[in-house]
Amino acid sequence: MLRSTRTALLAGVTSLALVLAGCSGSNDKKAGGGSTQTSGVTITVALASDAPPKAALDAFTKETGITVNWVNIDWDSLQSKISAAATAKTYFADATNVDWSRVGQLGKLGWYYPMDSYVDTKAMAADVPQLASFTVDGHVVGIPYDASFMVTTVNTELFQKAGANPAPQTIDAYTAALKAIKAKGVVQYPLNIPFAAAEGLSTYWYETTGAFGGSILDKDGKPQFTSPDSPGYKAAQWMVDALKSGLVPPGNINVTDSQGQQNLMAKGQVASTFSDYSGNVGTLYNVKKSSSVVGKVKYIRTPGASGPGANLSNPDGIGIPKQAKYPDAAAKFIEWFTATQQQADFAGVNGPEKTFPTYPIPSHLSAVKQMTAKGNLVGGEDLVPMLQGSKPVFEGGAPSWYPKFSNAVYTNLHGAATGSMSVEQAIKTIADTADQLASGS
Amino acid sequence: MKRRTGAGRSIGVALILIWSLGPIYWAIKTSLQTEADARAKPAHYLPTNPTLQNYSALLSGNSDIAPQVRRSAVNIVIECGAATIVTVLLATLAGYAFARMRFRGRNVLFYAVLATMAFPAYTTLIPLYRIMSTFGLVNTYTGIVLVYVSGFVPLATWILHNYFASLPVGIEEAGLVDGARRLQVLWHLLLPLARPGIISTALITFLFAWGQFLFPLVLSSDLSTQPLTVVIAALQGRHVVPSTLLNAAGVLAIIVPAALALAFNRYIVNGLLAGSTK
Repeated sequence: MLRSTRTALLAGVTSLALVLAGCSGSNDKKAGGGSTQTSGVTITVALASDAPPKAALDAFTKETGITVNWVNIDWDSLQSKISAAATAKTYFADATNVDWSRVGQLGKLGWYYPMDSYVDTKAMAADVPQLASFTVDGHVVGIPYDASFMVTTVNTELFQKAGANPAPQTIDAYTAALKAIKAKGVVQYPLNIPFAAAEGLSTYWYETTGAFGGSILDKDGKPQFTSPDSPGYKAAQWMVDALKSGLVPPGNINVTDSQGQQNLMAKGQVASTFSDYSGNVGTLYNVKKSSSVVGKVKYIRTPGASGPGANLSNPDGIGIPKQAKYPDAAAKFIEWFTATQQQADFAGVNGPEKTFPTYPIPSHLSAVKQMTAKGNLVGGEDLVPMLQGSKPVFEGGAPSWYPKFSNAVYTNLHGAATGSMSVEQAIKTIADTADQLASGS
Repeated sequence: MKRRTGAGRSIGVALILIWSLGPIYWAIKTSLQTEADARAKPAHYLPTNPTLQNYSALLSGNSDIAPQVRRSAVNIVIECGAATIVTVLLATLAGYAFARMRFRGRNVLFYAVLATMAFPAYTTLIPLYRIMSTFGLVNTYTGIVLVYVSGFVPLATWILHNYFASLPVGIEEAGLVDGARRLQVLWHLLLPLARPGIISTALITFLFAWGQFLFPLVLSSDLSTQPLTVVIAALQGRHVVPSTLLNAAGVLAIIVPAALALAFNRYIVNGLLAGSTK
């Protein structure tokens, strides 16, 4: 309820901003007038994360003369604050979170400085596969600092108990394995799909669509899932059928992504999550305090239509709002914060004293490889090739109207799951919404 | 027939109690469990191995959480207390003026003040943020208190207007005849009589302010001003929700308003009903 209220607020504030941007007739606004000073200043960095180790920040201050005031705000609240501050053209922080799903909005609204003006993003691209998710109209809105992407996880013990292959390569083989687990009574409901009307259901569908060999929208935002033969349609049908055939717990109608991962997957009540979060094996399933499946859950290559499918990216980035007081100093911080060596330090490659305990998977492939080589990343050898081949959810970057589209996706897929509408009706409504939004109406 | 009515009433009361107290009970129960117990299936309707570890983590743990909770608890008391005092002060003067004084445009002004209550809070968020930013009041107690006051004064004025209007005019006239000034009449004669209305207005304002989330979220940038409601929301991670910790924090957050509501519910009801009967 809280989440949906805040999502509604975010959508409302952003819609207002889009209207105002449209009325102004130009997105090419000049910079907010921040100072170019890069020494002897204090910048505020707002991310949904704990602060890095004090020693690391002190070292940065010593090196650059820039002091960092770190503000940790939960992700939902942070998005509301970013929208409110940008709409009011008011300073809030010098560097903030830039989520992959908001890149289109932020690019269109011109709320952030293009990072390619500050950092050599072209040189960075080869080692940061998810940079493409932050690029709109040739400009980079934010630099990814984590490498979150969607992965398939399986409880190998439950698969093996049923005599099923724990690393199926195709959707058909994966579905057959789940049916075998159910038929043999290993668990009653082997598959976790979070059918609650929330963002997690949308991203699950995107990943499943990718696995079926397609994409949701084309570069112009046109829906690619209207035909019953299309991957998006098949993915939606597969998900709803899985629920109706008893592969998914009936209670999952009201289960969100994190609830399903914590309450079902981590408790061994389901055998697999098709669209899970990269890193969950190390941070959730292998943590004794919160899991009863320690050592049993593995990442597998995403089962696809005719072989392993791609993994779609949903990383977090960091960018500089136009109202920043010290944009140049913020850029120096971002360069430092997202550098390979710094990420390797944060990830524990170079000793515990440099480790940033809650740091996610680094965005630099070379840092992830260093982690894997040192044994600091559970399942690293599986994750590296997935990260290397990961793709943006939307080919042309997330559209500026993404929040409304996502709302239509999860509302209608939830409706199809509850039986209040057919998959066909749900798909049609989602496609109509996308068409309307893409045409600007 | 009477027996049927009585049974119906009992069932109705029971349903309302379950509806109202059920979620609070569940929050308290969850707050006394470990994450594993809270997520057990089938669910435990009573905490099987009750523990205070969540409260301990919130109030005295070694992590960053305890200092944040303590600081934000102080912040919320300061912000709600200051907003209540200023709101009651302004609303008392405004309520009295609208109820007793005759001046051109009185009714228009009064209904204009009341009409502001019809605006959804979201519509004023951005303008207020901009105003506060212009005056350098973002992330200050003053800024948050001023925003609360601007939001609560209309309702408080309406309640106190009704209260003053219900008092006999004769008392005031006697005071004026004896040579007292308006403010003296208000202070010495009317305020003692209106004390129940003032207390109920203060309680209602305080409770409303205590439940605020959106405005303090936007107007406060760090722990120097963030109230408890904002800090509780920040306890959840993006992919992991510590449900037992969040429930314990929620229980702590409702202690003060629940105690006030239980202790002074008569005043709250009277305040909300002021002027509804003649």
